[in-house]
This record gives sequence, C-alpha cells and structure tokens, in this order.
Amino acid sequence: MKHLNTLLAALLMLSGIAFAGETGTALKSDTLRKEPYADAKAVGTLKRNDKIEILTKKGAWLQIKAGKSTGWVRLLSVKRGTQGSSNEAAGILGLATGRSGTGQVVSTTGVRGLNEEELKDAKFNEEEMKQLEASTISAEDGKTFVTAGGLKARKLDYLPQPQPTKGSAQ
Amino acid sequence: MIKHSLLLAVFLASAPAQALDLGGVLKDALDKKQEEISAPAQADNPSQAENPSPDKSEPTINLKKPSRAEEIQVGREIAGNILGAAPLVKDLALQKYVNQVGRWVASQSERPYLPWHFGVIESEDLNAFAAPGGYVLITKGLYRQLKNESELAGVLGHEIGHVIKKHQLKLLQKQQLLSMGAGLLSGKLGKENPTVQKVVGSGAEISARSLDKSAEYEADRIGVVLAGRAGYEPFGLPEVLQAIGHAGKDDGRVALLFKTHPHPDDRLTALGDAIGSRLDKVEGKTLENRFYKLKN
Repeated sequence: MKHLNTLLAALLMLSGIAFAGETGTALKSDTLRKEPYADAKAVGTLKRNDKIEILTKKGAWLQIKAGKSTGWVRLLSVKRGTQGSSNEAAGILGLATGRSGTGQVVSTTGVRGLNEEELKDAKFNEEEMKQLEASTISAEDGKTFVTAGGLKARKLDYLPQPQPTKGSAQ
Repeated sequence: MIKHSLLLAVFLASAPAQALDLGGVLKDALDKKQEEISAPAQADNPSQAENPSPDKSEPTINLKKPSRAEEIQVGREIAGNILGAAPLVKDLALQKYVNQVGRWVASQSERPYLPWHFGVIESEDLNAFAAPGGYVLITKGLYRQLKNESELAGVLGHEIGHVIKKHQLKLLQKQQLLSMGAGLLSGKLGKENPTVQKVVGSGAEISARSLDKSAEYEADRIGVVLAGRAGYEPFGLPEVLQAIGHAGKDDGRVALLFKTHPHPDDRLTALGDAIGSRLDKVEGKTLENRFYKLKN
C-alpha cells in the first residue's frame, strides 16, 4: 500500500511538471497576462518568433516564460518545440510531456506509405468497402458511448473566416 | 433614415466576406431542413442508404447538382479505391471506436443523417481522407500520433468539414467543367451524364490532389467547432497540428500531407486568428483514459 502511494505520488509529480522544460516559439505577437483570462492584467508582451518556455496548460491558455516575464497566452499563439527540430527531438519532447501515448517513435523502414502513385493506381476493393460499411454503429450503441464518456452536446457557433491580421492578437 | 441606408451600404460594401458567409449559413440551414425531412425515410431504408449502387456496372452521375444518392455513389467509389491501396486495419474494436467518436462528432454537423462511415487504414503515412457522402479514412500512422479522444474528434471533425462543405465534389466539378470545355473545342460532347468511374478518374488520384487552401482552413475551423459542440476540449485538432509540425520536411510519412495541405504552422496561425477570444472559456473532455490503444 505504501509502495502504491509512493508510486501515485511520483505519478502525480510527473503530471504536475508535464510541461516543464518544453520550449516553443511565438507564432504571433501577443500580450502576456497575469491570469488565464482575456481581461487579466497585462504583464508583458510577446513578439513573433520569440523563444519561450512552457510552464503549464489550462484550457485555452498556456503559462509561459518569455525572457524575464512569466504570464499566460492563448495556446494558439505558441508553436511548441524548437524551430526546425528533428523528428527525434519531437519524439523526446513528446516523451518529456508524458503525454505521448503509445510509441511516438516509429520505425519507417519497410512499412507501407500512401503516395500519389499508389493512390492513382489503386483499384476499388469491394470486400474492404463492405467491411467499412458494416462497421456502422447503432443509435443505441452510440448513445451509450456518449453517456459513458460524460459527453454533452452544446451550442457553439461556427468560426468566421478571419480577416488578415497585422500580426497582433486582438 | 437616409443616413442609416448609407451606413448600411457602407457596411455591406466593406464586408463582402461576411455577406457571402451569411449566404452560406442560410444555405446550410436550408440543407439541414431538407435533410431532416428526408432523413427518417432514408434511415428506415438502410439498403438504400448503405448500398446505393449494388450491382450496376456503369451508374451515371449528374455532377452539376448531384442528388444525395449520387454524392454517396461518388464517395463510395473514391473511398473504395483508397481501400484498394491501403486496406482497413484488422481490428474490429478499433474500427468500432473510431465510428463511435466519428458518428457523434458528425451528428453535431448540419448533415447528421448521412450514412457516415469511419475507418483506420493500413499505412504509416500521417494523413486522413474524406470522400463525398460521409466516408472518412484515417491512417494508422496518424492515429498513432493521437494522445486522446479529443484529438481524434478534431481530426475526424476536419474531414467531416470537407464532406459537409462538399469540397471534393466542387473539385470534381471543376475538373469536369475543364474536360467538358475540351470536349466543346474538339466537337465531342456527349449529352448523357458521365459514369461514376469517369467522374472520379484514375484510382483515388483525386485524394492525392490539393483542395483550395481556403477549403483546408475552413475544414480546420469546422473541426474545432464540431469537436467543441460534441463536448470535447476544442483544441484537439491544434494539438495534432502541433505534433505533425514537428515532422521533418524529409520525413516521407508527411510528404503527401505537406504537399496537399498548408504547413501546420500556417494552419495553427490561421486557427488562432479565427478563434481569437471566442473559445477562451470553452473547456471539455479529452478522455485519454478510454482512448483506444493500437495493438501494434
């Protein structure tokens, strides 16, 4: 039991520092805020391509360190990982966040791709199509799945096409 | 009063994009109504919905204004060709899971009653495909990159966006108009509608072609919103784009994706501009605990 608790504590700690050490780049200029709210006090500014460090995530917001200031920005203002990072680095970053799921690093030797030529030469496969069509789920099954996940439908307007910006968030 | 009309005119003139968008919304609302009316009958008749062209060898298509059944016929041909290049992953539990998520996300759209079919295909490429009428395929390679159900919902939402906006049908139509133009010039122009195979072209070539960049950005915006409507954290799709953006330019697994889509960085920036402060308070489920893990 004691062991289990220690393990749990270790896991909690791991998830708590999930983002520690992960770096990124500002995708656009933005304002750093004291709290993860649009009307929170401004504590600094972010310029496009600024290097940043990600501290934690909360909903639509990331807490970051940029230069000497620490504050919150919308997560879409930041591109994670270092610019031009190799695939390997991405794998390591994925592991560092502890959220990489199963095997982020994939061997690419001898596996099937899906390039233009292969698509062009492809022949209709009736057998596979029948399998695809058979995998449809019933309304009842669908309902059970949604309820089990605690998912609730809600209203959300479609996003309008953005007007070209002048490099700053609103 | 005159002042008001003037103001209105100025507003209209300065906002042609919004005016167009409004038209789209109206049209969608109409589409939805129609589908809701016609859907129950079709839902009660699965043979029609699920197997639109059982054994006709050369069904024909009116591309100018395809019916729902014709739309499904075209999509079935394209999706069946993709499956010819990359078959389904033989894991029924995986396929069922992806259909459960996809069905739920699609039901948040204005075309919930299309016979939606979702599948994971055997390819280590990072890509996903949509075909008209509700066929959506995602590669095993892309699925492997996903960390939770909200990310899957976002990816499927993007593909659902292509279907409900009929992006691929529009591309096919453009292609058709071009070949009709060539026919006019050479004096050869059949009166009858072309066959499905003729419309779709060689294999799944159409799926290797790029849509308009604006269509991709639009599908991204739809993917985020549909996932959000379904109760998921709406940032699943951007998370996936972040991950894909890490892939090197020389990584063969993203060659086709990068060729046919704007770069993930540009897609993230465009999404950020579109979202602005709109989703500041929208949270939701990520459901990593029940996310189906690939067996290999």
